[in-house]
Amino acid sequence: MTHPTPFGLHRRSLLKTSAALGAASLLPGLPGLAAAQGGAKKFAGVTLNVSTFSATYPKLLQQWLPEFEALTGAKVNFDAPSFPVYNQRVDLELSTRGSAYDVVNVTFIYSSRWINSGWLTPLDDYIRNPNLTSADWDLNDFLPGARAPETGKDGKLYGIPWTAEALLTASSRFDLLEKAGLAFPDTTDDLVKVLRAVHKKERVAGFVADNHYGWTFVPYLHAFGGDVFRKAPDDLFPTLDTPEAIAAGEYYANLLREFGPDGAITYQPDQVTQALKLGRVNFTDAGQLHLAQLGDPATSKTLKTVRFGQVPKGPAGRFPGTAVHGLGIPAGSKNKEAAWAFIQWALSKQTTRKAVAAGYGSPARRSDIDSAEFRQKQVINGSDLAKLSLDAIELASKTGHMKYRTVSVYPQIDQQLNKAIELIASGQLSAKQAFQQAQANSIAELKRAGQKL
Amino acid sequence: MASVLLAPGWRAEQRRAFLLGLSPSLAVLLVITLVPAAALLVASFTPLSLTDPAATFRFDDPLVNYRQLLQDNRFLGSIAVQFKLSASSVALQLLVGLGLALLLNGKSRVLEGARTLFLIPMVLPPIVVALIWKIMYTPDVSPVHRALEHLGSPVRSLIANPETALWAISLADTWQWFPFTMLMVLASLQMIPDDPLEAARLEGANRWQLFRYIVFPYIRPVLVVCGLFRLIDSFKAFPLIYVLTNGGPGNVTEVTNYYGFIQAFNFSYWGYASAIATVMLVGVFVLSWLVGKLGWSDHEQR
Repeated sequence: MTHPTPFGLHRRSLLKTSAALGAASLLPGLPGLAAAQGGAKKFAGVTLNVSTFSATYPKLLQQWLPEFEALTGAKVNFDAPSFPVYNQRVDLELSTRGSAYDVVNVTFIYSSRWINSGWLTPLDDYIRNPNLTSADWDLNDFLPGARAPETGKDGKLYGIPWTAEALLTASSRFDLLEKAGLAFPDTTDDLVKVLRAVHKKERVAGFVADNHYGWTFVPYLHAFGGDVFRKAPDDLFPTLDTPEAIAAGEYYANLLREFGPDGAITYQPDQVTQALKLGRVNFTDAGQLHLAQLGDPATSKTLKTVRFGQVPKGPAGRFPGTAVHGLGIPAGSKNKEAAWAFIQWALSKQTTRKAVAAGYGSPARRSDIDSAEFRQKQVINGSDLAKLSLDAIELASKTGHMKYRTVSVYPQIDQQLNKAIELIASGQLSAKQAFQQAQANSIAELKRAGQKL
Repeated sequence: MASVLLAPGWRAEQRRAFLLGLSPSLAVLLVITLVPAAALLVASFTPLSLTDPAATFRFDDPLVNYRQLLQDNRFLGSIAVQFKLSASSVALQLLVGLGLALLLNGKSRVLEGARTLFLIPMVLPPIVVALIWKIMYTPDVSPVHRALEHLGSPVRSLIANPETALWAISLADTWQWFPFTMLMVLASLQMIPDDPLEAARLEGANRWQLFRYIVFPYIRPVLVVCGLFRLIDSFKAFPLIYVLTNGGPGNVTEVTNYYGFIQAFNFSYWGYASAIATVMLVGVFVLSWLVGKLGWSDHEQR
């Protein structure tokens, strides 16, 4: 039920009108949508189906949907299941060229497969069209390193990044290190030394990591001089049975086995974040998106003791993991123009700035990253999380070590790495046996995928 | 068929009525059951992969998936895991269900209340059951782990330990499904006539003898049916494995169904996954036939 206002308007109509006027004034860079101010809405009657995995930025967009709906007249169904469920669902939908979704998240590990299979719509024509995109929307403001994984072999752009994040290291109880007279570990040897000194001090376990080891372990694999493939993306012969890979596997599984909390190999990302926020575990390697939550004064008990750093340097150097996710339009979408309007709104300077103001910790626009507001929010207990992340992304773009991640067959290898680390950490196989098995299984999987090795 | 429909007489009339009455249901059954199953079988003879639509209907080497399955250690291992999980969970469900049915077989409000209470796990959605057990098995948040730790007898995480992970899943599955056996056996127990029991009591039979020689032969067919239903269902174990262990640690809880899921949904090898599903389908048919034959033949002889 709506209540008439003193001016004869209904409250809901008034709210909608105000939202439209407010949104239109906030978003001058959406050509064709400004007509909303005159009452005509460009996409009235259109229902857009948007799907991403559940994460901070999509959650903010869900809150702000009425703004887009009031501006355009479109109705938006926004669905955000968990990461694995989302990927399986959209992988299937895209492969059938279905029209169930109009906007999807272009997931990092699937981007090459989805883009190069022709399952997504190139966005270049929309971006270049002044009737659909205004000049001040500014594509070049998005980090070049974040646009690269969203670009196809044809050089066209298929997704607009909403996050560019790095895998960093955190110590939730850095005070325990200080008490022991130790500094933040810089190398893989330092990390073990530190963990030996602080593990189980004040009932705090030393180390835990998200059990997606195809993401958390690989920086160590690189640090020990190993790699996933012989030379991605051109030579995809797996290299998981090399002495370097075996040494890295032994090292990493031992971190979990010797210094992990009970059940360490079952920890998922949110569990890791909670354990760190409550100070039950000291060290982890996690994405900046998760680590930024340790700076939340409302929920983090370790806000005053946390410290962040780069992933440790090994004998071969430092190789931080990076990840990018973007919004794209499926090839089968029947509402592509409206879908583009949604992406434009969702990733406009105004919206991303608002997200940063709301505490979003992993923007992909340079202007947001450089803004004083963002930088200030990202300094948590003296550690500049944004700087660490930018340094990591820059380093990754120089070394090119993340090329393994977006090849179409990586999901197969990713799972072999998960299994191998679990097998070693749970004591079922030695590092050598586990990685030899991972190598043999990976070759079999790649042959099944029709990969010429 | 045509002769049946056209033949004169009362019996022919009956047959016509049956055929005409059944044909709509048979047609629906054909469309919703047999057609997808046939599609699965056809797909299993192709290298179907969603990333390569050109391979969708290629039949140049129709047995390639089945040949690969025979050499796939992970698949063969998953069958062994499946047998362990099915055998342990079905046996536990029958034992617990039977035991509780015998205890709760009576007429009182307390027993009726207890019976209703024990039915709760069975009506919960599988994903909710999986989440309940995820909490129970996660030392960080588990009330059981905390209580045991408080009592000075801490227990290591059951789902992270390769020795216990499968049994932990079996236990959770039993918790959800023992009420099915309990309910069926209770219904059967309440149909046992009093006369033979009274006569046996007068002859001096003790409780065990009453159960062994009178009650058990009555409920045995029901137990066979319960076992068969649960056996078939145990091959569909998925949410518990997905939420609790993801098939790990390593592959110790990776059942065939879960392995097929990974091949289809993580890697897009739909032809290969269809071959796995087809092998499972045949396996379930054979097992069901064996169990059914075993149970019913004895029953008929009796």
